[in-house]
Amino acid sequence: MRRFVVLLVALLSVAIFAAKYGGTVRFLIGVDVTTLLPGNIPDSISTIVGMHIFEGLVDYDENLKIIPALAERWEILDNGTAYVFHLRKNVKFHDGADFNAQAVKKNFDYLFSANLRNVGVYKGIIKEVQVVDDYTVKIVLFQPNSAFLYRLAQSSGWFVSPQAIEKFGHDPALMSKNPVGTGPFIFKEWKAGESVELVKNPNYWRQGLPYLDRIIFRVVAEDVSRVNQVRAGDADLMYNPPPALLAVLEQDKALQIKVVPTVRTIFIGLNTSRPPLNDVRVRQALNYAVDKERLCKVLMRGLAKPSDSPLSSMTFGYFSTGGYPYDPNKAKQLLKEAGYENLKLELITPKGRYLNDYETAVAIQGMLKEVGVTVDVKPMEWGSYVSKLLSRKPEDWDYQMFLLGWAPGTAEGHQVLFPLFHSSNRMDSPNATMPYNNYFYSNPKVDELIQKIGLEIDEKKLLEYFKEAQKIVVQDAPWIFLYEMNIAAVMRKELQGVKIHPTERVNLAEAWIDR
Amino acid sequence: MLKFVVRRLLLLIPVVIGVSIVSFSIMHMIPGDPARIIAGEGATVEDIMSIRLKYGLDRPLIEQYFRFMKGVITNDLRSIRTERPILTELLPRFANTAQLALVSIIISSVIGMTLGIVSAVKRNSWIDTFSMVFSLVGVSMPIFWLGILLIILFAVTLRWLPSGGKGGVEHLILPALTLGLATSAIIARMTRASVLEVLNQDYVRTVAAFGLPKRKIIYKYVLRNALIPVVTVIGLQFGYLLSGAVLTESVFGWPGLGRFVVDSIFSRDYIAVQVGIMMIATTFVLVNLLVDLVYALIDPRLRRG
Repeated sequence: MRRFVVLLVALLSVAIFAAKYGGTVRFLIGVDVTTLLPGNIPDSISTIVGMHIFEGLVDYDENLKIIPALAERWEILDNGTAYVFHLRKNVKFHDGADFNAQAVKKNFDYLFSANLRNVGVYKGIIKEVQVVDDYTVKIVLFQPNSAFLYRLAQSSGWFVSPQAIEKFGHDPALMSKNPVGTGPFIFKEWKAGESVELVKNPNYWRQGLPYLDRIIFRVVAEDVSRVNQVRAGDADLMYNPPPALLAVLEQDKALQIKVVPTVRTIFIGLNTSRPPLNDVRVRQALNYAVDKERLCKVLMRGLAKPSDSPLSSMTFGYFSTGGYPYDPNKAKQLLKEAGYENLKLELITPKGRYLNDYETAVAIQGMLKEVGVTVDVKPMEWGSYVSKLLSRKPEDWDYQMFLLGWAPGTAEGHQVLFPLFHSSNRMDSPNATMPYNNYFYSNPKVDELIQKIGLEIDEKKLLEYFKEAQKIVVQDAPWIFLYEMNIAAVMRKELQGVKIHPTERVNLAEAWIDR
Repeated sequence: MLKFVVRRLLLLIPVVIGVSIVSFSIMHMIPGDPARIIAGEGATVEDIMSIRLKYGLDRPLIEQYFRFMKGVITNDLRSIRTERPILTELLPRFANTAQLALVSIIISSVIGMTLGIVSAVKRNSWIDTFSMVFSLVGVSMPIFWLGILLIILFAVTLRWLPSGGKGGVEHLILPALTLGLATSAIIARMTRASVLEVLNQDYVRTVAAFGLPKRKIIYKYVLRNALIPVVTVIGLQFGYLLSGAVLTESVFGWPGLGRFVVDSIFSRDYIAVQVGIMMIATTFVLVNLLVDLVYALIDPRLRRG
């Protein structure tokens, strides 16, 4: 009898808690999708839509560990210069084409020959893609690359049906409107500026998935309106609500809020090429003078966490350096030592690009005032801002401090350290490949470590180099280290199984509606 | 009449060329490189160069302009941001904006003219006071705020209407009302002033002296004469609604042209911005032509001219 009761309870709870099939999720996005051609995708919204249609050899899990996707397993050969991938069998593209080694090769050939926008992710890294047999692919690299698997997990590594490439490959616009992948959902319709609709892939290789019948991504530009639509029950999911509304949303019983840390850090870059910011004591003083805890708590309302490294704590390679605790007295003392009491500085900032960017700049203005630094805050429109900060012309290099964010597309630290801190990527370096070092920072020791990080495939050594590099960069303080962003999603209570990744991806492959 | 229409249509050509030169110059005067912005975070030098080359952004400005105009004539232009043919991007959005603007101008003309006429006829009554307060509020209330208030009331709290997006007629009501409120206020004020002016004319007093019923005087003698300035205002407002619906579109998630053009400005998608502006300018000219034709319909004297 008792056994029977236990069994009954178990069965009942399975019935109650098991995922249910069917239903549509209406997902609100802030701007329209740019393109659904993987090799051209430049933004996170296109990535979120695309990840439901496409898959690559490998993928990130929620903790940004590399996991198998269309490759079941792989071997790394020849000191990291060759990768052999064993492909999953019986996987079909949405148009019925087989996923196999030829399809993999065709995709890489297409990316290179059509010179797609993200070709830089693999150009100069992949030397050759070889078909070993139908389900084995060997990718040969020019030299070892510690981030290679992370690069494969990016959107540029997703595969499009070879038939679709044959048919539409000559025109990126046609490719963009006819996305054919192997993913859990099949593309149905894209109404420009309005919505993108996906339907369930009944032949998906992951048994039993997906649960949902349909996803409709709908464009609503205004964040307050997105929140209101979810509250009204006209939509099921949105992300990045205005922080000021969080308190109200938390009280709404029909909603749930999920907050996840991301790989994006927000910082203030300091132009180290000219006085007074060429003095490391001044830069350190500015770091001590900013109360990061208060910024995160009061201004960001928990949607950010103080940062103590150029890497977010979610990024592969992160090491906690301890950073700069809030210490205004130490700041004053350092400024005095450097001979800069009553310092005047200019801080330029975008307005509305990142959550509370301008507000953060103004708060910092107040904090620096307390240690005797007068800051002039100048907001700029994003397009002009970017063209000034990433300009290669000397006349544009007159800025002192600027607020910026950075999220490595690969979710690992080389994509932070190399473009931002390697001296070869300084704005004034003629052969820069990723010129984002606009603080004009250079430290030969850091250069050497970044070089090693790029090539090392032994994880233990790699992490050691990462640790060293972060310690030195924090010590040299070319930034005021501010905070790591969290991503917040607001959804209806009945929506379950939504996965939010630190790369700002929102995954509905395993989502279901509890009715 | 036909000659008049043809002449006005021919005038479109210099207007559109002028607009294209002005919008091209402004877009190229503001700093910012579309390749840089579109390539996104973490793009390599090579990525950016390839976009620049592809869209001829490295060529001299004059050459870029003529390339652009050639593209307009041969309909061979693509949005830099989305790489899709520009008309595929713009036309459906333009249709959405036009639909919204049309419904909203109808609503606001009906509300505005009714209020205006009634308050002019019943001058200094409570209706007059009400409609003048209404129009003051309507003109002063920011569209953005009004839209959010309407959503909170009718969609979130009462659940009578959808909170946004595009769909059936019910999806049009809130955005059209939001967009139309300020316009109806302006129309109401204009109608009131114009009707009052005509009411004080000698001939109105004369027909009144003949003992015609008041209703007939208003409809037959006053309205027709009072309508001309009102039609002008409605025409201008319609043009404004076409180009100025950006905020309403943003708040209600209405997939219109305005929001797309603004996003294109931010990403320096020159092609989308320039073609979008040329489209709006053309419509503006056409609406004006329509207004002139309506004049002729209302006022027989103008038909001869």
